[in-house]
Amino acid sequence: MEYRANFVLATISSLASMGGALFALWALLRTEYAMNGWSFNQALIVVGIYTMLDGLQQTLLAPNRQQISEFVRNGTLDFVLLKPIDSQFWLSARKVSVWGVPNLFLGLGLIVYAASFRLEPAVDAANYVRLLVPLAVSITIYYALGYLLSTLTIWFTKLANVTHAMHALLEAGRYPVAAYPGAYRAFFTFVLPVAFMTTVPADVLLGRGEFTWVLGGLVIAAALLVAARLFWRYALRFYTSASS
Amino acid sequence: MTPTPRITKAYFNAFYALMTTYRAEIFFWVIATTLPLIMMGIWVQAGASGAFEGFGSVDAARYFIGVFIFRQLTICWVIYEFEYDVVSGRLSSMLLHPVNPLWRYILLHAGEQFTRLPFSILFIGLSLFIFPEALWGSGEQPGTWLPQGWRVLLALACGYLAFLLRFFISYTISMLAFWIERVSALENLNYMPYLFLSGLVVPIQTLPPALQEVILWTPYPYILWFPAQLIAAPPEAMPAELIARGLLTIVGWITLFAILQQALWRRGLRHYSAMGA
Amino acid sequence: MPAIRTQGLTKTYRVADKKPGFVGTVKHFIKRRHREIQAVKAVDLTIEPGEVVGFLGPNGAGKTTTLKMLTGLVHPTAGAVSVLGHEPFKRKAELLKQITLVMGNKQQMIWDLPPMDSLHVNAAVYGIEEKEAMRRVEVFAELLGLDEELTQPVRKLSLGQRMKCELVAALLHHPKVLFLDEPTLGLDLNAQTAVRSFLKQYNEEQQASILLTSHYMADITALCPRVVVIHEGALLYDGSLEGVVQRFAPLREVKLDLAAPVEDAVLNRFGEIEANEGRVARLLVQREALTDAVGRVLAELDVEDLTVTDPPIEDVIARLFDSGNNKGETTP
Repeated sequence: MEYRANFVLATISSLASMGGALFALWALLRTEYAMNGWSFNQALIVVGIYTMLDGLQQTLLAPNRQQISEFVRNGTLDFVLLKPIDSQFWLSARKVSVWGVPNLFLGLGLIVYAASFRLEPAVDAANYVRLLVPLAVSITIYYALGYLLSTLTIWFTKLANVTHAMHALLEAGRYPVAAYPGAYRAFFTFVLPVAFMTTVPADVLLGRGEFTWVLGGLVIAAALLVAARLFWRYALRFYTSASS
Repeated sequence: MTPTPRITKAYFNAFYALMTTYRAEIFFWVIATTLPLIMMGIWVQAGASGAFEGFGSVDAARYFIGVFIFRQLTICWVIYEFEYDVVSGRLSSMLLHPVNPLWRYILLHAGEQFTRLPFSILFIGLSLFIFPEALWGSGEQPGTWLPQGWRVLLALACGYLAFLLRFFISYTISMLAFWIERVSALENLNYMPYLFLSGLVVPIQTLPPALQEVILWTPYPYILWFPAQLIAAPPEAMPAELIARGLLTIVGWITLFAILQQALWRRGLRHYSAMGA
Repeated sequence: MPAIRTQGLTKTYRVADKKPGFVGTVKHFIKRRHREIQAVKAVDLTIEPGEVVGFLGPNGAGKTTTLKMLTGLVHPTAGAVSVLGHEPFKRKAELLKQITLVMGNKQQMIWDLPPMDSLHVNAAVYGIEEKEAMRRVEVFAELLGLDEELTQPVRKLSLGQRMKCELVAALLHHPKVLFLDEPTLGLDLNAQTAVRSFLKQYNEEQQASILLTSHYMADITALCPRVVVIHEGALLYDGSLEGVVQRFAPLREVKLDLAAPVEDAVLNRFGEIEANEGRVARLLVQREALTDAVGRVLAELDVEDLTVTDPPIEDVIARLFDSGNNKGETTP
């Protein structure tokens, strides 16, 4: 019962959240404001990708992220390190959660709806296949950033909330980066690569993706993945020498 | 029992000390509540297009800095605290103190508000650095940002009333913890309308008048939009009638939720003591 | 006027009789069914000012529910209860300022702050003048052997230090009635002794009444001339500590110094063998069969010496608790 009720609540809040995002977008674009060439229907794709990505990370990433800090706090990380399996892999692929499922489907639904019924001409079906690459890039970036920050809890046990802060900043991805002023655009491209997480996939689906941006995303994702790996190794060295 | 000034002071001192021990986490909670500054980017850009009458990029920057300030002042997490106290049984020990736990919760929040203050100032400074036009005005919209003194004072008072409003809405929902297990799951039902109707992501004044009228009857715009407008909007955009209406509405909603909360509190306590406290 | 008086104090919990799962919940929603559980049954209890009473009984016997009714946290289903002339469940500030409840497994102090901060809050909440409050803190700290513990965050203190500070906080307002639920739970022996002598001194100086539950018999024997035993919600015994032994120890211990070792099979005929180690044997014998058994032992065995004693009170109470399917958490 508790479980079902919570699932209904999660669905309602996902619906409300997406409804609110659409309301905010409508409020912005109901006048003649052009938003640097993004029409309402095109921007819907960005909202859809953001929602789907959020659903994916709630399902695959968030439950594991929370566990890392718990393991560190309870001191049970020691047992993880004793297992004959790569600790980062084990900590990253341990749990899935159903709470992200409503977002996943709502996001997907919005993308398909906007791409097939709202946009003139409708989006080329082949673009859905092309979308897979930038989408993989965006979930990888999400994972690597989250893992980097979770690693910090090895030093600062109380900072279980740093990933909340990251999640809040990533909300910028509900809008195409072109909607932001220059300073923001630079920040969301080079510091916190939100641009590669929602805008680039949306561009690819809309058939106006640029090769350099997709490639840039791949490079950033790979770099962050390596950084997360190295940082974890470094943190473990610190952890084992500090606890023994 | 209502607390004496001495109890209030003792609570505040203890809880401020407590919250400063959490300052690192609180710093990250401040980052987690910078959505107004993100929205500032979107609306400064939109305002520059001139598509929104009376809401240029300078207005947008000032408005969202105002929203950010009152967002920091009106943070409310009582539902999580109360849920924990009921589930863990800590509420029982509080009930043996001769002071209603309500004051404890309010002053816990006050302690956090003060701990946030330096971090908030840091982010306001950063915003003004990115958009110095908010202070000095721009070519299209000249003039420094210098709201009348009484409006600033009124905005601060309203800001605190706004906190009480948000607190009582949340505390009223928290009372359901006496009957159901995970009451914090319900908080989202309150958070969503707050997010979209408070002016946090959409400046209410840019909406069609009929829609504005509907939203202004709900409690939410008075939490952020109203105090932010008092310091950010040009005086003619916030005439005396609108201010009076705002004050009446905010006090009305606080009274309504406080009465509802008290009624639920009494019934809840009866249930709690029947269940074995 | 007695400090505490209850008449026919009764508490019945209504428990939802609900099958697990979604279907069970829906069924329950449509047709509510409840079971009634009697936690406390018609308890009559009177405690005079200055009295220290040990409140004994197995887990789940109704001790905590009774304490919660006496402190006003739980509303009685039936019966009358008065503490210092007040009905506790009205939770009047006037009464709350004269009582205290200490629970060994729960703490009231703010976890991440030093106890001193919580003490300042309590001083204000109970309206004790700041100077007077600090004087009391000094006196209590002296008695309990507390010093820099008062200025270190609670979370850094050991369990014993924490409980000592907890007592300072709970007694700062000089309550007239103390409800102590397992105040020494999990403490090391030194801390237990310190807490015990502190409570004794407080009781003597303030003439406060104390109702104390503890699994540690040493607490009871050191502090409580009077004992109340509750079992399955009803009072079984109310009287002196020694009386408990008479009432609940049907067995006496017979110690034999034998001229030569005797086989178990032979000893068995006189009583239950507690120990049989060479020339020393200990038997447990029913009170009423004692004379007969001793006579037969002396006639049939070559006994050098024979002593009859009551078993230690710890064992008596432990047995009593064991019969109430308790885990028997007693210190030797």
